[in-house]
Amino acid sequence: MNWNASDMNLFLQQKEYIDTLVIPLIKVETVEERMKASASATDFLMNLVDYIELQFKGRIMVAPPFAYTPSMELQQFGERLSGDLSKSPFKHVFYLTTDSEWTSIEIRGNVLWLPSIPIENMDDRLKQSILEDQLKQLLPRLTEEWRK
Amino acid sequence: MSSKVSRRQFLNYTLMGVGGFMVSAAAMPMIRFAIDPVLASSEGGDYVPTDQKADELTETPVRVDYTIKDRKDAWYKSDVSNTAWVYKDGDKVIALSPVCKHLGCTVSWAADDSHPDQYFCPCHGGRYEKNGKNIPGTPPTGPLDQYEVEVIDGLIHLGKTMPNTLV
Repeated sequence: MNWNASDMNLFLQQKEYIDTLVIPLIKVETVEERMKASASATDFLMNLVDYIELQFKGRIMVAPPFAYTPSMELQQFGERLSGDLSKSPFKHVFYLTTDSEWTSIEIRGNVLWLPSIPIENMDDRLKQSILEDQLKQLLPRLTEEWRK
Repeated sequence: MSSKVSRRQFLNYTLMGVGGFMVSAAAMPMIRFAIDPVLASSEGGDYVPTDQKADELTETPVRVDYTIKDRKDAWYKSDVSNTAWVYKDGDKVIALSPVCKHLGCTVSWAADDSHPDQYFCPCHGGRYEKNGKNIPGTPPTGPLDQYEVEVIDGLIHLGKTMPNTLV
């Protein structure tokens, strides 16, 4: 499910089945030399999130991405975000990011960090198989959480 | 009578010609509009080629990925990746849609170790038999959709989805 009105309607009717929220966390670099990498990472992450949404449409709701710039305090940002979301109707919350800073931050919910892969120059088939591989690596974390 | 056209005749003819033209210009769209359903072309010919060779298919469903090029959705133009589960039933080629009838997740053949001869939905454990029939007691409420299939030059071509005809 995506964060739009029609999917949200479906969610409200099927709350017992759609119990997982995925939140993309995106670092927006502001220095010119790093902007290309930042954009590429965003591209990768959003493509992956779209793919996850397609595979798990009936269980996962994908939230709009949360973006931040380099000087923002992630510890506090993460605490507030996860604190607010722990009051939401979603039983499981996953944060998906390519920013390694999140691996050292303690928040409620699961942080799934994965290195960015530059997919922008790949043809569709290769892109598809890369995304598939990435999802396969994340899958154990998802199913482990769902079993709880 | 001379074969010369008189002034009166000439005016009659031109008026009739111009008038007729104007009337038909107004009437043609109306007629076209009225009989439009008859003229609508059937859209069955939209088959998309895949890489799957027909004679390599077996009784076991295989995943076939294909891309619909340049699909136009309003003013967006995009390539859409799609998947089908394709197998052979006697001489017939069957292609099923992987979209779970419960809430739209993607199902896979033999993805669950305890049910190796069924489609499995990872979201809520929905299961389907090989022909797409949903297993009672699992969340899905109907059978998997089927694709229109055509074999052209030995390659599988897939059309639109339709309700399952095998169950």
